[in-house]
Amino acid sequence: MEILTASKLIKSYGKKTAVNDVSFTINVGDFIGLLGPNGAGKTTTIKMLTGLAKEDSGKIFYNGINFKSDPIECKRLIGIVPQNSNVDRDLTAYENLYMQAILYSIPVNERKKKINEILDFAGLIEYKDKQVKTFSGGMKRRLTLIRALLHQPKILYLDEPTVGLDPQIRRSMWELILKINQQKSTSILLTTHYIEEAERLCGKVMIINNGKIIIEGSPDELKKGIGHFVLEEFVDDAIKEDFFETKETALNHLKDCVNSCKIREVSLEDVFIKLTGKRINA
Amino acid sequence: MLNGFLGILYREFSVYRRKAAKQILASSISPLLYLIAFGYGFGNKVDIGGMSYITFLVPGLIAMASLNQSFSIAQELNITRFYFHIFDIYLTAPVPPVQIVMGEAVYGMFKGFLSAGIIFVLAFIFGVKLIINPMFFPAIIIHTLIFTTLGITVAMLVRDHGDQATVNNFIITPMIFLCGTFFPIDRLPVIMKWLVYFLPLTYSSKVIRATLTGGAVDYNYLLIMSGFAIVFFITSLLAVKRVEG
Ligand SMILES: Nc1ncnc2c1ncn2[C@@H]1O[C@H](COP(=O)(O)OP(=O)(O)OP(=O)(O)O)[C@@H](O)[C@H]1O
Ligand SMILES: [Mg+2]
Repeated sequence: MEILTASKLIKSYGKKTAVNDVSFTINVGDFIGLLGPNGAGKTTTIKMLTGLAKEDSGKIFYNGINFKSDPIECKRLIGIVPQNSNVDRDLTAYENLYMQAILYSIPVNERKKKINEILDFAGLIEYKDKQVKTFSGGMKRRLTLIRALLHQPKILYLDEPTVGLDPQIRRSMWELILKINQQKSTSILLTTHYIEEAERLCGKVMIINNGKIIIEGSPDELKKGIGHFVLEEFVDDAIKEDFFETKETALNHLKDCVNSCKIREVSLEDVFIKLTGKRINA
Repeated sequence: MLNGFLGILYREFSVYRRKAAKQILASSISPLLYLIAFGYGFGNKVDIGGMSYITFLVPGLIAMASLNQSFSIAQELNITRFYFHIFDIYLTAPVPPVQIVMGEAVYGMFKGFLSAGIIFVLAFIFGVKLIINPMFFPAIIIHTLIFTTLGITVAMLVRDHGDQATVNNFIITPMIFLCGTFFPIDRLPVIMKWLVYFLPLTYSSKVIRATLTGGAVDYNYLLIMSGFAIVFFITSLLAVKRVEG
C-alpha cells in the first residue's frame, strides 16, 4: 500500500532549478535511499514533502490525501530528522520532547510515560533534564531521531541523520533506525553520504543528480545494470574503470593492463560514478 | 485543538523562564535612564499641558518600552529561524498557521505587559502620580498586539539579520521618537505632523497617556488602533503562510 505519492515535483530558487520533475512512491514499510552529490536536490525534495518549501508545481499525496488540501492531516503521519539540527538548545531533552508531544496532540495523560519510554529507548534517560546545549553531537542526533518518532509517524524522513558522527555511534544509530523500520513498519526515506550504508540498509535506492532522479531500483539491480566486476587501472593520477559481467572476462582484460590493475566487485558507488561522473563524497 | 498555540507557548515560556531575571533587569535599564535624564533633568520645571514633564514622560515610556518588547519578537524569531531552525518545527507540525501567529503574539504581548509593569514600579519609586483609568488595559492589549504582529510580519519577510536591523533603524526608532512619546506631536513641523498620523504609535501613545493622566480617552483613536492590530494580524498570518524553512 502506498503511503506517499509524489508526482512531477519542481522547485526553483531564482534561476536555479533545485528539483526538476521528481516523481516516486513509497509503500508501507519501505526503506528507500535518496542518494546524490552535494546540491543534487535531496533536501529540497524532503522540504517540499514536509511543508517547509512550496513546490512550483507537482502533487503530493499521503495515504491518498492531497497534501495541499489537508496539510494538517498529512503532517500527523510524518516524522522528520532534518539535515540542519533543530532541537532546541535552550530546552532540556525532556522539554524538547514535551513540546513535540503538545504540537502533535499526544493526550496529556500519556505524555510523560511516552517521553520517558522513548528516552530510555535511545539511552538518553539519565540526561533528560540537561539542556541540549550540553549534549554531544551524537546525543543531539539521537534526540532528534526520537523526537521524530514520539508521535509514531507512518513515514520518516532522515536527511543525513548520521553525518559527522564517529563510526561506532553511527553504527548504533543505524541499528536504531533499522529497528524502527522493522518493528514498527515505519516507512523511511533516507539521504546519506555513506553509500555503503545505504547499500546495506535500503531495499531501494534512487540516485538524484541536478534535480532529477536518474535511476532507481534495489542496490543489486543497479549494480547488475553496470556489470558485476570492475577492472581498475591506475593511469597517471587517475583511475580508469571498466565494467564486466563475469570475473573471467575481467581477468581476460587484466592481461592487457600495462599499469597497475585491480579487479573487485561492483559497488553502488561505481553505479553512482558511472551515472553522474562524480563521487558522492567529492 | 489548540495544540499549536499551546506548544509554541510552552516553548517560548520554557526558554523565557531561564532568562527572565536577566531580561527584566535589562529592560529596566533604559527606562530608568530616561527617567533620570529627562525626569530629573527637566523635572518639574518644564510643564506640558498642565502636567510636569516627568508625569508626561512616564506614559510615553510605557508606550515605548512595551512597543520595543513586543516588537522584539522579530529578533527572537529571526534567531530561531535562521540559526537554530526552531521555526521549522512549527512549520512541519500538524498546526494551522493562525495558531503559530497566536502563540507568538501572546508571548510578545506578555513581554510588552511585563515592561509596562516595570515602568509602573519605577514611576512609583520616582514618586510620579498616575491616575489609572481601566481603559488603560484594553489600550495596552491592543498596543502590544499591534507591535507584536508587526514584529512577526517583519520577521517572516526579512532574509537575514541585516534586514532586521534596517527595519529597526528606519521604522521603529524614528517612530519611537516622533509619535508623541517624549513630546506632544503638535510641536512637530506641519509635514511631519501629517506623516506621524500614518504611524500607529501616534494613536496608542496618546490613548495610553490619557488613560494614565486623567485625560479624556479618544475612542476614535482606540478604533484606529484596533484597525492597525487587525491589519498586522492579517499580514503576519499571510507572511507565516508563505514563509519557507
Ligand atoms: N533556500 C535556498 N535558496 C537558494 N538556493 C537554494 C536554497 N535551498 C537550496 N538551494 C539550491 O538548490 C540546490 C539543491 O539544494 P539541496 O539542499 O536540495 O541539495 P542537497 O542534495 O540536499 O545537497 P547536500 O548533499 O549538500 O545536502 C542547490 O544548488 C542549492 O544551492
Ligand atoms: Mg541536503
